[in-house]
Amino acid sequence: MKKLFGMIIFVAFVLVLGACSSDSSGEGDSGESDSGKEELTAWAWNINVPVLEMAAEKFEEENPDFKLNVVEMGTSDVYSKLTTGLQAGGKGLPDIVLVEDDRFQGYINTFPDAFANLSEMGFDEQKSKFPDYKTELLTKDGAMYGFPFDGGPTGVFYRRDIFNEAGVTPEDIKTWDDFIEAGKTIKDKTGKDMIGLDLNGDDGLYRMMLTQQGTFYFDDEGEVNLASDESKKAMEITKELKDAGIVKNTVGWDPWISAMTEGDVATAPSGAWLYGSITQQGKDTSGKWGVFKLPAFEEGGNRASNLGGSNYVIMSASDQKEKAYDFMEYFSTTNEVQVEAMEGGLFPSLNTVYDNEIFKQEVEFFDNQKIWEMFAGEMENIPAVNYTGDYAVAKDEAVKAQSKIVNGTPIEEALENAVKTLKNRTQ
Amino acid sequence: MSTKINTFKRTVQSLQIRGQQTKKASTPKAKFKALWMYLLLVVFLIISVFPFYWMFVGATNDSSKMFTNPPTLSFGSEFMTNLTNLNESIGIARVMFNSIFVSVLYVVIALAVCTSAAYVLAKFEFKGRKFIFTAFLLSMMIPYQATLIPLFRMMSDLNLLNTYFAIIAPQLCFPFAIFLMRQNFLAFPSELLESARLDGASEFRIFMSVVVPSMKPALAATSIFLFMTQWNNFMWPLVVLNENSMYTFPVALSSLMGLSYIDYGQVMMGVTLATVPIIVFFLALQRHFISGMLGSALK
Repeated sequence: MKKLFGMIIFVAFVLVLGACSSDSSGEGDSGESDSGKEELTAWAWNINVPVLEMAAEKFEEENPDFKLNVVEMGTSDVYSKLTTGLQAGGKGLPDIVLVEDDRFQGYINTFPDAFANLSEMGFDEQKSKFPDYKTELLTKDGAMYGFPFDGGPTGVFYRRDIFNEAGVTPEDIKTWDDFIEAGKTIKDKTGKDMIGLDLNGDDGLYRMMLTQQGTFYFDDEGEVNLASDESKKAMEITKELKDAGIVKNTVGWDPWISAMTEGDVATAPSGAWLYGSITQQGKDTSGKWGVFKLPAFEEGGNRASNLGGSNYVIMSASDQKEKAYDFMEYFSTTNEVQVEAMEGGLFPSLNTVYDNEIFKQEVEFFDNQKIWEMFAGEMENIPAVNYTGDYAVAKDEAVKAQSKIVNGTPIEEALENAVKTLKNRTQ
Repeated sequence: MSTKINTFKRTVQSLQIRGQQTKKASTPKAKFKALWMYLLLVVFLIISVFPFYWMFVGATNDSSKMFTNPPTLSFGSEFMTNLTNLNESIGIARVMFNSIFVSVLYVVIALAVCTSAAYVLAKFEFKGRKFIFTAFLLSMMIPYQATLIPLFRMMSDLNLLNTYFAIIAPQLCFPFAIFLMRQNFLAFPSELLESARLDGASEFRIFMSVVVPSMKPALAATSIFLFMTQWNNFMWPLVVLNENSMYTFPVALSSLMGLSYIDYGQVMMGVTLATVPIIVFFLALQRHFISGMLGSALK
């Protein structure tokens, strides 16, 4: 009896281990250079995956020994895995990873050796094909560490039907003060709010306004910059919007989108990528939309800004860096690939692609406005800003300060406090 | 979820007892009291069932319908569309297989490991027994984030990344399961063990033929805990898996979360599919589950 049990347990164990290893063999990460296997691995999230796969197929036609395996995961999951792998000393990482603009500098500062130096591999020649704000973002100590990919040139998305009903013309909105006045008119005539904001949960508008003025949470030296004049101005506008009673408090992403698609609010300042969300969630609102540039802080001031965007990096731990570089250079500088990205809802930062007809076409959903031409024209004017420091913590403090300000705390006091706490938290 | 149902069941039981009592003394006052009790229960029922209902509604509607004002509360006609889209996005059959395989395998092995450990800790006298047991309990207080990176390094050094084994291995010894089983073993009369020993049965035989068969309720309760733990496990599989074809449900569902657009129809369909096996597993074992929990509590 005893022997029988022993046998059963032994057999079960062998089966278990067999099942485990048979599924894993041959599927291991590409870093392990099994003989003859030269597959590269990339991590990316949803709409980026088909673009990457299509580009890999095209590249494979001319480089038969090339093969790319794209692993799809959620945006924040990419960072969880990337951080874990880097903290474990570069283990279990792929060859290519997609990283957002505002995350990139955090990684390169914490893990200076994480990404491959692209300047050494010859990427400097391609630099002029991208807007300055992107190349500066990806440069550390004079060398580039990332391939610029998509950008988020900003604009104010608005509902034509609401604007018409209230008799407001978007061309007249040149400054944020005009914007607030227009908002009051719309509220009077239609009863609808001008803008949806998550006042206690997100600071997207504030971030856009900071970038618009060429500054961000931290300055070039990496010092906390939340109490700068630019920051105060941005908070002032936010507070004025709230005090004018033209803000609908939308908590979270989806209520914000649906407030727009349902026609409960008139405008949404955001990145060009918002196009994808509203066309998918507001399928029956075609023709009712329009976009104008972000209002300036003073007459004639800068109206270009950026929200979001991402870049590809090659991991230093990869043992196929050259191959990965060849592919990524092809990916980021080939018009054909970038047009495909554009069609998939990602606004390319490669400036040679803007001559393509897709950027000149009239967009039916936006009442035949040439919205892409407007966004493309903005790219060169986007100020380069500094994303160093702990982005997540800084954002947290900025949101708290914003929440206090709209609830009555004086701007100066709230921002000074935010600076103090942020300094403590990032020390 | 399980605890909710558990407490709910207990309330129902006590209410049934109450109901019998009121039948005996059917005064208007007692009836009135029972009515209130039922009303309260109906409220609780709605609170606990509504999320599931909303989940099914979401699974049969287009994503944009979920955010209308007033909210859509009726079933839509997009069931098949969502199912097809989800299948295209994550490959339902593969993910379902991964999840079930990993969870069942985990329950089987972890149950064997934890039950044996608990038995020894409950029924054998040896030096350091208390210390070991306390150490197990204390290890429950270590946050998993603290062990994430060392474990990841270990798996990577052993070349086990991206395997089923890597998902289940770190949690095979599950302190809470050991605790739960130990409490149940304590209630088992030691005299029975003595007499079995006198009859000449080996220790292994005593364990398998005398102790384990009488522990079915406790084993069922522990299995449900272990199953749920593995089924819902997210962070660890996310970190060790590097292939979409190895993804379990939580990881696959998380991969649907994009930056600017999330198809909630697909997500809700995925969540619905992920919930079904838990419900089945629970219903199959629930009879044992409650007595198993009570068994340890009554001791």
